[in-house]
Amino acid sequence: MLRMTHALIAAAALALALVPAAHAADATRVALVPGGPHPYFAAWEKAGQDAKKDFNLGAADYRVPQKWQLSEQNSLLESLLSQGYNAFLVFPGDPVGSNATVQELTENGAPVIATAGCLKEPTTALFCFGTDTGHSAYLGTKELIKAMGGKGRIAHFTGFLVDPNTQLRIDAVEQAAKETNGAVKVVQVIADIDAPGPAEEKINAYLAAHANDVDGIITTAWVPAVVASNALRRIGDKRIKMVAIDHDPVVLKAIKDGFVNGTMLQNPYGQGYIGSYALDRIRHGCKVKKDAPFKTIALTNRFIDSGTVYADKSAVDNYVGAMQAITKTIFAGFEKTYLDCP
Amino acid sequence: MKTPKFMRADWFGPFAIVVVASVGITIFDRPFLSPFNIQILLLATAVNVVVAMSQMIIIAIGQMNLAIGAIGGLAAVCFAGLMQVWSFPPALAAVAALAIGAAAGLANGAIIARTGVSAFIVTLASLSIFKGADLGITRAQPFYGIPASVKAFGNATMFGPIPWLALPAALVIAFMWRLLYRQRIGRYILAVGGNASAAELSGVSIAQTTLWAHGLSGFLAALAGVMLVGRLQIGQPSIGDDWLILSFAAPVIGGAVLAGGHVSVFGTLFGVIIVAIITQALVIFQIDPYFVQVVLGLLILWTVGVNRLRELRLAGG
Amino acid sequence: MKDSGAVRPHEAMTSGARARFAGAVLTNEFGLVLLILLFGMLFALGTRGFASPFNLFTLGRIMAINIMIGYSMMVVIVTGGLDLSVGAIGVCAAMFFGWLSQRLGLPLVVTIPGALAMGAALGAVNGQLIVRSGLHSFIITLATMSVFFGFMEFVTRAQAFRGLPPAILAVGRMRYFGYVSPLLLVSAGVGLGLSALYRLTPLGREMLAAGANPAAAELSGVRVKRVIVQCHMLAGALAGIAALMAIARTGAAIPSMAGDLGQDWLLPAFLGPVLGGALLSGGRVSVLGAFLGSALVSELTNGLLQFRVGEFWVQTYLGLLLMAAVLIDLARRKLVARLGVAP
Repeated sequence: MLRMTHALIAAAALALALVPAAHAADATRVALVPGGPHPYFAAWEKAGQDAKKDFNLGAADYRVPQKWQLSEQNSLLESLLSQGYNAFLVFPGDPVGSNATVQELTENGAPVIATAGCLKEPTTALFCFGTDTGHSAYLGTKELIKAMGGKGRIAHFTGFLVDPNTQLRIDAVEQAAKETNGAVKVVQVIADIDAPGPAEEKINAYLAAHANDVDGIITTAWVPAVVASNALRRIGDKRIKMVAIDHDPVVLKAIKDGFVNGTMLQNPYGQGYIGSYALDRIRHGCKVKKDAPFKTIALTNRFIDSGTVYADKSAVDNYVGAMQAITKTIFAGFEKTYLDCP
Repeated sequence: MKTPKFMRADWFGPFAIVVVASVGITIFDRPFLSPFNIQILLLATAVNVVVAMSQMIIIAIGQMNLAIGAIGGLAAVCFAGLMQVWSFPPALAAVAALAIGAAAGLANGAIIARTGVSAFIVTLASLSIFKGADLGITRAQPFYGIPASVKAFGNATMFGPIPWLALPAALVIAFMWRLLYRQRIGRYILAVGGNASAAELSGVSIAQTTLWAHGLSGFLAALAGVMLVGRLQIGQPSIGDDWLILSFAAPVIGGAVLAGGHVSVFGTLFGVIIVAIITQALVIFQIDPYFVQVVLGLLILWTVGVNRLRELRLAGG
Repeated sequence: MKDSGAVRPHEAMTSGARARFAGAVLTNEFGLVLLILLFGMLFALGTRGFASPFNLFTLGRIMAINIMIGYSMMVVIVTGGLDLSVGAIGVCAAMFFGWLSQRLGLPLVVTIPGALAMGAALGAVNGQLIVRSGLHSFIITLATMSVFFGFMEFVTRAQAFRGLPPAILAVGRMRYFGYVSPLLLVSAGVGLGLSALYRLTPLGREMLAAGANPAAAELSGVRVKRVIVQCHMLAGALAGIAALMAIARTGAAIPSMAGDLGQDWLLPAFLGPVLGGALLSGGRVSVLGAFLGSALVSELTNGLLQFRVGEFWVQTYLGLLLMAAVLIDLARRKLVARLGVAP
């Protein structure tokens, strides 16, 4: 008798536990996971919150690995899956190393979109949604060359070596310089400095020794852009031209004050917002069109551009408006262009 | 053949290296000794020398402090956070941050003194605790709202190429020298490091000395963190992550004996300068940046080897 | 895999059965098992995902890697030393494996032993530097961690090897009975091997003796210097195994896999053995303890994440755990001494 009561209680408890689970199973719970802490992804947090509100999602949470380490990100992703998240926007900690974990996510029924950085094919991620970083670096370098008057020497400061975008950027800057047929040369590339300590140390050391040997600086990562802007401000003579990246307030002020010529804006907000939307539609039966007009870049042939724009002194004050306009455009046509929905 | 007394001092070797290296590099790269570059070198050295002193005092007592970076990082984000979130004036925020560092150090010292657990384990545990607190408070995002006065202090120059940041560093050096060679607590620290049982027998309280040393170490680590916030111009949670090697390398290059009881303040200073010069030289000569690590490691091996030989020779006769 | 120093309690001091029970219960290992079960229940009941097959599988996989890292440090602690370069050696072995597999296209039967050999070789370098200089292993391995890591980064130009044979990734993804990763079985197997080493072989006993009292050991014929080199070689090989497991998890050999200079492995390397009851002064080892210690730490990290404790505070809890564990162990030892139950 006692044993039966115990069994009944256990069964009831189990049923109660399952009921909320059953309810929650329908709702899309998105996890937005960057490769590590970095100011670029801060916009993802707001994008997730807005997406949750606008599309009635179960959740759209921004969860950050403790540090820029692949094993940290993998552990976090595995844990998030176990915690009940069923859709993922992931910035790959490594274009190949992340594939194994992404595959585990998709095998457990969670769609994954590589965001702001791409996975190397073959991958079970739906597609890659981000800035065409190579193209952006290429455009930025072209603007820099224009500002330099078509000739001179360029120094290139860029991001983490583990960032899949870094090599694309290095190649693109080199390409843009090559197209000047020798008038412009890239004399120095300093990579792996997307953190304040190393950036400050290396950029200052370099400029202290070689400021007279460069005519232009291109930065293709957030932190070096900030540090280089400050360094040029300190030098003060505005002889060295610079094109930065992203929208740090320090960089924007430097553009207004004339120390930096312009910046290549990316669209982190759009990535988070539209990405969450896409995941939700996929979970409600839509499929990715096989013949969708994807772009092909080095890592993948299923690439969707989230937009990039060059902002100089005149455009800097309204950069938010510019990015919102791009996001709106992409969003308006997204489902029609890329998805087959029932 | 008797070498002059000053040449046998700990600091002479590193000093000679600094001179030779500077001359050598200048021959190849004129701007090396330019005022701008001296300013850069001093900015780097100022913070690192405080870090090195923080570890040096613990080496003197014959222990190791693995938590220096974590304490520095925690103090740095508290400093920045108090100013940004609670609008503390910089001076007050700095005092608070230094107090936090000292308290953290004292906590370490108390546990070590009371329980007798090795400093290695205690500071390994506290390293995690403080680092976790650092990351937890900031959610790994830096504090950007640093007042202009702090940024100026961290970057501007007093006169010529000498930055303001060199002032606290110089004060720390002077203080440490006086402490170790003129004050009683300094002699106790060296005594406990040299031979703890002998020190105890002659009336030195090991527990108190440990407390003093760790409290001071925490204070200095916090000071380095605060200085770094000024220099970097943001309250970055990852401050301190790369202090471990440097904090040991500089004192060791400067002649410190890891078993305790023998350290050199000026030797440590020149050790820090050597590291700064090497780092810069590698960028200037466009040598692969990964080589810095290799060179640092080899330098440590070489200096401890030399120190050891000197020790053996002294012991032998 | 019992505690190597466990001796039957003195029956003259207290009533036999009670003393034996106290002896068993007051061991470190029992305490760890208790904690693992306790926290396991807490996490399973308190979160929805902890007890799911997927989570237990990934937990087991991570445990396997942490246990191996812990073993690598443990064999050095046993002889009274420290090895700060475990992470650096592991990464070097991993990158060497990547180079052999991808650049030279060699088969796994060659590349896996090759990676272990690289680990052992680097360990030998550590060992030789330590015995020849007579300096403390802390400073030597602090230096070699820089040298090994820097050299590796220089040689590989920090490029990862991403074209590895699919077999190794397949091992990482295999699941037995839906819960158990083969990696965990490898760690357990290595643990059994190490246990056998310390209890049954002369070399193992020499290592313990060299750690407990090097002077006495030397007098009784143990070639302490040679033993120290051998234990560092063993540590290097074990670090290599850990690194291969990490590769199996991701399918790529990435230079940053253990953090800058490999220092991300330091905390797990120490937590396991120290929780497991190893003394930093050497001479005592508990392979089972190190296994359980690493398992507990991995379980806690996983569970705290599930509780949405906030990824960032996890480190604080681990630090508090280490501190508490060390203090409790101290108290336990005092209690054991006072009760007259043998250590």
